[in-house]
Amino acid sequence: MTTTPLTEGRAGTRVVRREALHFAVRNGKLVTGLGLVLVLLLTGLLGPLVLGVAAPNEYVAAPMLPPSAEHWFGTTTFGQDVFTQFVYGLRTTFAAGALGGGIAAVIAMVVGFTAGYRGGLVDEALNMLTNVVLVIPTLAVLLIINAYLGIRSVAVQALFIGLTSWPWAARAIRAQTFSLRGRDFVDLARLSGLSTPRIIAREIAPNMSSYLFMTFILLFGGSVLIASSLDFIGLGPTEGVSLGLMLQNATQWSALQLGLWWWFVPPGLAITAIVGALYVANVGLDEVFNPKLRIT
Amino acid sequence: MRHYFGRKLLVYALTFVVAVTVNWMIPRFMPGDPVAGMLARTGVSQPAAVEAMRVYYTDLFGFDRPLWEQYAGFWATLLRGDFGISIWLFPTPVSTVILRAVPYTLALMIPAVLLSWWAGNRLGAYAARRRLLDNTVLPVGYVLTAMPYMWLAVLLAWGLGVVAGWFPVAGGYAFSLQPALTGEFLLSLLHHWVLPFLSLFLVALGGWAIGMRNMIIYELESDYATYLAALGAPSRLIRRYAFRNAVLPQITGLALQLGVLVAGALVTEIVFSYPGLGSLILKAIQNQDFFLLQGTFMFIVVGVLVANFVIDLVYVVVDPRTRAGMAGAQA
Amino acid sequence: MRKRARILVPLLAAALAAAACSGGGATPPSQGAGPPPGNPGNPGSLPRNETLYTTGTQWGPPAHFNPIREGDHATGTKGLVYETLFHYDPNTAKLVPWLAESGSWTSDTVYEAKIRSGVTWSDGKPLTAKDVAFSYGLGKIETISFHNLYDWLKSVEAVDDRTVRFTFSKANYQEWDFNLYSRVIVPEHIWAGRSEEEVLNGANDKPVGSGAYAYQSHDQDRVVYVRRDDWWGRSALGKEPRPRYIVDVATPSNEVAMGMLLQKGLDLSNNFLPGVANLVKGNFGITTFYDQPPYMLSANTAWLVPNTTRKPMDDPAFRRALAASVDTKKIVEGVYGNLVKVASPTGLLPQWDQFVDQSVVGAAGFAFDTAKARRTLADAGYRDRDGDGLVENKDGSKIKLTLIVPTGWTDWMEAARTIATSAKAAGIDVTPDFPDFNALVEKRSKGDFDLLVNNERQLSNTPWTYYDYVFQLPVNKTQNTVNFGRYENQRAWKLVQQLNQVRTDDVAGMKTVISQIQRIHLDEMPIIPLWYNGLWAQSSVATWKNWPSAAQGAPKSAPVLWRHWLELGGFETLTQIQPAGS
Repeated sequence: MTTTPLTEGRAGTRVVRREALHFAVRNGKLVTGLGLVLVLLLTGLLGPLVLGVAAPNEYVAAPMLPPSAEHWFGTTTFGQDVFTQFVYGLRTTFAAGALGGGIAAVIAMVVGFTAGYRGGLVDEALNMLTNVVLVIPTLAVLLIINAYLGIRSVAVQALFIGLTSWPWAARAIRAQTFSLRGRDFVDLARLSGLSTPRIIAREIAPNMSSYLFMTFILLFGGSVLIASSLDFIGLGPTEGVSLGLMLQNATQWSALQLGLWWWFVPPGLAITAIVGALYVANVGLDEVFNPKLRIT
Repeated sequence: MRHYFGRKLLVYALTFVVAVTVNWMIPRFMPGDPVAGMLARTGVSQPAAVEAMRVYYTDLFGFDRPLWEQYAGFWATLLRGDFGISIWLFPTPVSTVILRAVPYTLALMIPAVLLSWWAGNRLGAYAARRRLLDNTVLPVGYVLTAMPYMWLAVLLAWGLGVVAGWFPVAGGYAFSLQPALTGEFLLSLLHHWVLPFLSLFLVALGGWAIGMRNMIIYELESDYATYLAALGAPSRLIRRYAFRNAVLPQITGLALQLGVLVAGALVTEIVFSYPGLGSLILKAIQNQDFFLLQGTFMFIVVGVLVANFVIDLVYVVVDPRTRAGMAGAQA
Repeated sequence: MRKRARILVPLLAAALAAAACSGGGATPPSQGAGPPPGNPGNPGSLPRNETLYTTGTQWGPPAHFNPIREGDHATGTKGLVYETLFHYDPNTAKLVPWLAESGSWTSDTVYEAKIRSGVTWSDGKPLTAKDVAFSYGLGKIETISFHNLYDWLKSVEAVDDRTVRFTFSKANYQEWDFNLYSRVIVPEHIWAGRSEEEVLNGANDKPVGSGAYAYQSHDQDRVVYVRRDDWWGRSALGKEPRPRYIVDVATPSNEVAMGMLLQKGLDLSNNFLPGVANLVKGNFGITTFYDQPPYMLSANTAWLVPNTTRKPMDDPAFRRALAASVDTKKIVEGVYGNLVKVASPTGLLPQWDQFVDQSVVGAAGFAFDTAKARRTLADAGYRDRDGDGLVENKDGSKIKLTLIVPTGWTDWMEAARTIATSAKAAGIDVTPDFPDFNALVEKRSKGDFDLLVNNERQLSNTPWTYYDYVFQLPVNKTQNTVNFGRYENQRAWKLVQQLNQVRTDDVAGMKTVISQIQRIHLDEMPIIPLWYNGLWAQSSVATWKNWPSAAQGAPKSAPVLWRHWLELGGFETLTQIQPAGS
């Protein structure tokens, strides 16, 4: 995660929306970033279909082959096809990111909206909870939980990532909600007798949707990185393959020392590309939604 | 201001209690019996001897007492600074193991965090000023900050260590040396420190530079900057104000990022076999040594809490609004 | 802020220095170790050409130097610092007199060892028969790992300063030889005052031993030993280990160990380095025992252990089918890159080749043969009734077996996947599962598993240790070290006990008994031998040369410093290597 600031979605949101598409397609950062993510995502989604049913961990060829027309990314020490693993790994990594980021975003929204809109004691309590989770070193907790519970599937991994990485987002959303709460249109909605969840869903959330989307993007990127760290130290899913697991395997079997750079470099590069592209797209989005920034 | 610190301390105290409780609770869900693992390692086969040893170790580690007693006992020993005896490194006390590792981790983390923060902010501020610099700093920054720590670390170890041969790839100091206050020894320490430091520093640097660059651009677009410019203030002055304002969120950011930085340090240490807490945690996990794991976890929590507190202090010094009693920062 | 950066550098140096100095460096060098060898107080750097850097034994910070805790003491505690009465040479299959200059059975149940004169502890006191009697006497403590010796050892006494007499109730000749080179001798004048608790669990951080090396210092990631120039063996054996210093580096990850070897910072790496064959073939100055597959000597056998108390593994026919279904060659080539060897059907290590009865193997041995596995299954009544390609139990219920290996043991995890795949090809549904090591140990000791892989018996002086592992009875509630499959065969166990009581020089007698045991093993298949794990040893020729190898004229001793292996040739290796410059 970077500390990239998020827009103060103050300026008339509706106008921005109409303009958004116009500027979005003309924003180089956004197009490049999303484009790259999309290409990798499609590779992950379609690749396995194109490659047929070959399981990624099967030994399919001679070991330690360098990249060739037949094996685009070469083979591992065991003779597994690195490209097949890469393609399947992309899938898992995207799943971990989306799931982890999604769970975190949902928690962040629930906590942020409730705290920001309700205020008072509820706010105090939620704030305290947020701060506590914020201060606890997440990876250390994840390590312990993972090590002790030993449940090692992508879903569980994502769940734990989601459960621990929401606080900063919750705080940001709370602050935004807080500033929207006093607006006329919210007061109006309240006077018309709408219930709190409805006000949040109909009036507040839509007015900061761009903001929420960007928060999700950052959470997504963060989850991908955390998941790969966990995989790397041996706390990843025990079945299947992910980019982080590929890195772990390549390191454990001394890929670089043995000259098998094609085993070690692609997964790391792909993680960097996914996360970097997400961040760049995020800045692009920021510029699209925040007219002031377009001039620079 | 008293209110400000009061709240902070309450949060920290609460965090500590939660951390201790989580720490105490989780091992009880652990699969496998640590005593069984230990018995297997001692290689005793006779049933009578096995039973005797089981009773002995169970008693030693206190697994046979009621839960509440174990919990109370956990707090009592914790406050005495006693983390029990390591299962993996039996019979070494956990505190001894940790104390040996902590200085390495601190020596790695503190400079990496501070220097990357400082250099990143500078770089970001320059980037915001100059188009050309912006076009290079921004992409490089994004690539750096998006890199998995371990990937960069392994690449550095291989490129600068094995291939170029400039730096050693493992250990805290040369295996031929014994600790002493000599120039040779200090140089060896530094020599081994460079690569892990560099990989931590580089990844963190990117994040700070981007954060600062974006922040300054925001500030320059804000009303007060426009107003100052309209009044005809020199742009140097405006930039200085912008920088000052932009630093504040960066300080908060530092507090927010501590957890991530700790994680990065742990992973980096593992890659370089650097004898700090990270390598220790990994081994503790692999050996199901939950006393050691609890100890290291407590240490990290306390470290992060202290760091947070220091950042709060700095914030108060830097931001006059907090001193005036307004809630400037939340964390 | 600029100022801060300037202060940081010295601060950092200070912090690091503090780190290192607090890290065990404060431990003083071995106390009163006779005339100071070299200059232990000298903080200067160890001379590269006189120092051996090794790794692969100690997997974490050295925790203690207590030789009684045999499983986890710091590398070299036994072998470098403390010694045993004999060593054992696997090449000649003979005991080598060490602290004892000789030993013999004076009657069927009495063994007498003559202790060398002129052996001194590193604190200058003489080592006598009383120390030996005391050390063996420690076995009476119930929680000591060799306590079961007292099931058949009646008494041990020092007859005079140089003679120790062991009186047995039952003479287990094979096992006794094993004990002779396995049990460490500690100084009575230091250990006698220690409580049982301290003997068992003490860290013994200032070890006083009789060995060729003395402890110098340790830190988180290393132990340093320095050669004792007054070691008794120099004159008595005419041998001297060549390295003045030995630094044992706590085993780093594979790629770091490999990096250090390539940087010439390590001389001997005793851990499994996957792909090392490439480095041996390339011109990197790294050698192994053989310059072609399997590159390493063999150290132990990896078995597939079926839980014989569960259906259908309680059926010998099923076990034989399982054995024939495993494509071990694929494991050897694919997973290990030919660094290991396919095991003989008996599983006896190559060093024990003479004990393999080829006629028995010819009649009852097994080999990878999917078709035969299918046939064996069909003949025994395991058929595929629901057409999913997998066989069912005789009563028609599904067979679903789980094969467990510890998570993180990457080579075994890959091997388990291969076993599962090839078993499925023969119609047996096997799924690999990777629990944590401790969880696995618990399941293993309680018999709560279907299949597992194990290799916890090393090469020794006698195949008896091998068969003791396979057949030992009775089966207890928890099985901690042997017979994890809980296989019960009284006849086999009788034969194993009978083998134990054959004199170690009666090779023909041993063969007769072993042949019968082999027949039972191959017919019943209580445990399925798969491959021989290597005696992992990768050495760099940058600083030391003349490493043991198959080449003519090279030493043939075991090139490892693992626990228990210093007595099996590891120490010999230290005396054989030569400085590369010489």
